[in-house]
Amino acid sequence: MTQTQHDADQDIVLECDQVNRWFGGLQALKGISLSVRKGEIFGLVGPNGSGKTTLVNAITGFYPPQQGQIRFLGEPINGLKPHCIAQKGIARTFQNVALFRGLSVLDNILLGRHIFMRPSIMASLFYWWWAQKEEVAHRVKVEEIIDLLQLESVRDEPVDVIPLGMQKRVELARALCAEPRFLVLDEPMAGMNQEEKEYMVRFILDAREAMGTTMLLIEHHMDVVTAICNRAVVLNNGEKIAEGPTREAINDPAVVTAYIGKVKDAA
Amino acid sequence: MFYRLSGIHHTRYESARALWPVTADRRIVQGLLLLAVAAPFLLSDLYLTSYMLPWLIWTAAALSLTLLMGVAGQLHFGFAAVMAIGAYTSIHLTRAGVPFELALLGAGLMAALIGCLFGAAALRVKGLYLVMATLAMQYLVEWTIINVPAISGGAQATLSTPDVTFLFIPLQSDGALYYTALLWTVVVTLLIMNIKRSSFGRALVAVRDKDFAASVIGVNPLKYKLLAFFASSFLGGVTGAVLAFCYYQAVTPEQFGFNVSIQLVAMVLVGGLGSVIGAYLGAGFVLLLPIVLTNLLAFVAQFDLIPISFNLLSHIPLMVYGALIIGVILFEPLGLAKIYDNIRKYFLVWPFRHTQS
Ligand SMILES: Nc1ncnc2c1ncn2[C@@H]1O[C@H](COP(=O)(O)OP(=O)(O)OP(=O)(O)O)[C@@H](O)[C@H]1O
Ligand SMILES: [Mg+2]
Repeated sequence: MTQTQHDADQDIVLECDQVNRWFGGLQALKGISLSVRKGEIFGLVGPNGSGKTTLVNAITGFYPPQQGQIRFLGEPINGLKPHCIAQKGIARTFQNVALFRGLSVLDNILLGRHIFMRPSIMASLFYWWWAQKEEVAHRVKVEEIIDLLQLESVRDEPVDVIPLGMQKRVELARALCAEPRFLVLDEPMAGMNQEEKEYMVRFILDAREAMGTTMLLIEHHMDVVTAICNRAVVLNNGEKIAEGPTREAINDPAVVTAYIGKVKDAA
Repeated sequence: MFYRLSGIHHTRYESARALWPVTADRRIVQGLLLLAVAAPFLLSDLYLTSYMLPWLIWTAAALSLTLLMGVAGQLHFGFAAVMAIGAYTSIHLTRAGVPFELALLGAGLMAALIGCLFGAAALRVKGLYLVMATLAMQYLVEWTIINVPAISGGAQATLSTPDVTFLFIPLQSDGALYYTALLWTVVVTLLIMNIKRSSFGRALVAVRDKDFAASVIGVNPLKYKLLAFFASSFLGGVTGAVLAFCYYQAVTPEQFGFNVSIQLVAMVLVGGLGSVIGAYLGAGFVLLLPIVLTNLLAFVAQFDLIPISFNLLSHIPLMVYGALIIGVILFEPLGLAKIYDNIRKYFLVWPFRHTQS
């Protein structure tokens, strides 16, 4: 093994190795292998139903792969429960916003700090002498993230009354609060207008700069993907059809056919 | 105007998260607490022991249940059984010579233990199935108490509470009983409010709202469901013991029957799921309404305008009571707490119309 290759191995944050996932008779992931390096924004693209979300669900433990291995910082994580994977430092946002509707924006973001806190009934009972100190300490961190994502104006609103674009931002804030080493963003810009989209791109880049988070980005907006992703993988029907530096990967002939083929099918 | 928000700027996270950040609210709470403490001197013995005292204790029970049903989102239709476990455990412990303070702890632990056993069903099932599991608890506990003479004190028996002292004060006078109940209700109230503003409560709500999203931020849904059952059953058990010692003074299994479980659920629903103030309002509503109605009808019946049979007289309160519950739920699904909140917001901006949130 050469020195440079060795360094590259050390730098790998997340690695999927021949991951297979079936839903009944449908094979949603067909032997997917990929590796995400430290500090990069890794694009995951593909037509609708190509298995992008399924791959994320495999990584975060919701639908563990039936075959293959997923390693996080060299350690196998497939088979672990989702909350254990979260505690190891993987955070994600959902394609359909998954916020806690009964809580305010602030409480939602505070929940991102859960893995660093020690919630207990006793701490709550003796709040003034016990829980309060912890609450305030974590509030400071949360306010930093609120600053970073410009959420001050909605901080105290119930989360279900704010617009969708804001909700997606709150979800990103909640994920960032966990100070993840690996962050998965599942279509963070779906349903957004151009302005909101640009804001979101800004926030993603700011977050990486401020916290050095490695990210996996699923996105249908190709302009965004080419603009901010260092490398990308293209899926189609559960298969990996292209991989490499973003521009090369999505201009791959196989990718073009996959997308155009889709259009033809629809027509 | 009435609630001045202008000039209230929190400069510390502690004060922004205070229990009552608005001065006017704090004043109201202080006033109410003062009234509660002065109640034995203001009210006649009858009102103190047959209205205030049960209202406080049932509020504590509703608060315990709302922690589980409202905050944690787990249905429980057998909460009277949880209280029964607490009541019987405390009586047997004190009879065996255990100090009352420790007996309360034992009552809570026993209720929490058995409550968790049935709550473990919550880890696998949701909704209607959980209702079935908790109903099973209601009937199994009731059956066990009735059929094991060592617990019930014999067939058809009432088990009376022995004389005890609480914090060196003998629980004999009406005042001592009242203050014990008041203390417990205040403790439960503060606990629930503190749970709701700290990480433990947020985790419970997260699991209630979206358990998959909760697990993705590192909350273990199973653990928190079980903890919710533990905490709620513990509080329910102690409340059962307080109910037995401070109010009933002699317990029978019927006092903790299925209809009582339903009453508790009604208190929580009518008051507003998960709301602290709702537990007070809901408990008051469920306890007082039948009494008020009966008196009202008896008053109307005096004039002989419409013939009201004795049988009807006894049923009308129950009917109106049911109709009002449905009414509250249809009219304002968030319960009396929401109605209170609307009124409060009205005064918050009076004489204007628009609220911030
Ligand atoms: N829980 C499930 N049960 C059965 N089939 C599923 C499940 N989740 C996903 N699938 C199937 O797996 C395939 C891949 O779905 P997936 O959601 O991963 O696509 P995607 O690439 O995220 O698409 P989109 O761009 O629309 O989000 C689809 O055919 C889908 O129907
Ligand atoms: Mg998807």
